Amino acid sequence: MTDTAQLSRRPSVLRMADGGIHFDGVKAVDGVTLEVRSGEVLGLIGPNGSGKTSTLNLLSGMLRATSGRIHLDDDDLTRSSMRQRVQRGVVRTFQSGRVFGRLTVAENVEAAALGAGSRRGPARRLRDEILDELNLGAVADTRADSLTAGRIRTTAIARALAAKPRFLLLDEPAAGQNETEAVELITSIRGFARRRDCGVLLVEHDMSVVMGTCDRLHVLDSGRTVVEGEPATVRKDPRVIEIYFGKRH
Amino acid sequence: MKKLGSVTGVLQTPVLLIALVLLAALVGVGGDVTVARVATLAIVSVVFVTGLSIFSGSSGVMSFGHVAFMAVGAYTTAYLTIPVNLKAALFTNLPGWLSWLVDAHASFLVALLVSGVAAAVLGVVTSPIVARLSGLQSGIATLALLLIVYNVLNSWTDVTRGSSSMIGIPRNTTIWLAFAVAAGSIAAAWAYRRSRSGLQLQASREDYWAAQASGIAVGRHRALSWILSAFVCGLAGSLYAGYLTSFNVNSFFLTATFAFIVMIVLGGYLSLSGAVIGALVVSGLQELLRRLQDGQFTGGSALPAGVADLILAAVLLLTLIKAPLGLMGVRELVLPRRRRRAAPDDDATEAVTPAAEAPTQAARGA
Repeated sequence: MTDTAQLSRRPSVLRMADGGIHFDGVKAVDGVTLEVRSGEVLGLIGPNGSGKTSTLNLLSGMLRATSGRIHLDDDDLTRSSMRQRVQRGVVRTFQSGRVFGRLTVAENVEAAALGAGSRRGPARRLRDEILDELNLGAVADTRADSLTAGRIRTTAIARALAAKPRFLLLDEPAAGQNETEAVELITSIRGFARRRDCGVLLVEHDMSVVMGTCDRLHVLDSGRTVVEGEPATVRKDPRVIEIYFGKRH
Repeated sequence: MKKLGSVTGVLQTPVLLIALVLLAALVGVGGDVTVARVATLAIVSVVFVTGLSIFSGSSGVMSFGHVAFMAVGAYTTAYLTIPVNLKAALFTNLPGWLSWLVDAHASFLVALLVSGVAAAVLGVVTSPIVARLSGLQSGIATLALLLIVYNVLNSWTDVTRGSSSMIGIPRNTTIWLAFAVAAGSIAAAWAYRRSRSGLQLQASREDYWAAQASGIAVGRHRALSWILSAFVCGLAGSLYAGYLTSFNVNSFFLTATFAFIVMIVLGGYLSLSGAVIGALVVSGLQELLRRLQDGQFTGGSALPAGVADLILAAVLLLTLIKAPLGLMGVRELVLPRRRRRAAPDDDATEAVTPAAEAPTQAARGA
């Protein structure tokens, strides 16, 4: 488990087949099939309430699917806990960052490395590498709750990388930023993922942000798949135009 | 990147805390009988609150049941150190399968260790509960543990003497033995806090779901700290029994629980330094209040019984309102030095989101 690049050399696929979940009869996700391949960035987009975050919750194990299956290659993860999925390399972030506030940035990253199964020495080496890679060295000893919003976002990503992800599930990592900043952030995340041959599922509501940063897009509306494909094709799809721009167009 | 603190930096806090306890011990040795008694019991309280802090400080989950571990430690020490002939007279109705208790005997140091182990065994048995519960549920469950242990001790008269006092325990706890155990407990608590398990448990204290999402086995680490903490509180019970030579089951119930809660809350339950300082400060305060109630500061006219407890309760309330995290918050005791980290977080070095903090740029949608 020491060399992630070596581990993920064989191409992997994280797949949800016909996945669904309902809360009190309301179908938040209804028969969605999607897959993320190692090395690619799949953008999961759709308007508010379309089931993006619920889909991410199903994949990460925060919610258990009421229908459908979730596989990582040949392994059935449908019944696995979030923790078991992290051990298998399926790692999520949260929209608000949810860093460990009263721990330092370094402790945030080290705790995640330990949680994913690293021993102490390797966990500290991994921590230092990631802090360097993400330029967090200067704030390593700063408590996470006294960071700027930007650094909280970065710390949350550093923590996810410490878990040695084969698949990163990112819930609006650029929330609250303007378009330029968002594109910049996602482009750098893409770089981190590429270096690790890691697949990325990116939940995002802004179409313009995902256009240049994702390899493929999967569009949801009311818990169902609208269309999936290359960004350029998806943007021209009349159903997507209607969802995003209404009947004016 | 920079080193995360030298060895002397890391060991500064436990060394300072042990020095504080040493100070209390020296005060006890230098003072009269009353002062010595107050100091010794204060140090026993340090052992207990340090034990409680091993669990509560790292997990963020408050326990109202740890006095049960202290009780187990005290009773174990009583069974193992009361002279055999006295025990034969005290326990005439022992059930057959426990008759070996009459003949069991051990030196105090062995009894001390066995007391810790006995409390840890109760910790192992109850650990699945704390591993599964959080917040209010966990608090109520620990209170239930206290009630169960109290009721067993109070009702199982043939074995525990019920509400009659346990008497005839030889006085083995000296102030220096108490100090040694306190120092060891502080060292163990600090080592746990800095261990792999301790760091992961503190992460779960900050955000339970984010910890789960980082692969942290929150329940396992809670259970581990719970058992270690039970062991230390068992030691405190043993020292307590070996100092007072007699005790009653009511010594290990709500009054004691309340006093220890005041200590750890006043000091700051998230910080080991807070726990140790709280134990010492509140022990001193309790003695002052006792004297106040007895009339020593009011020209000999005693105040109504209960005034001391009332003031202690007021101190707890005031702390909870004014400083919910106590005197120390999440800080630990360190030597004063040049001001730490006065410089604000420097945006210019941030590469991932270079424009992230530009305040004038409009934020994208909600």
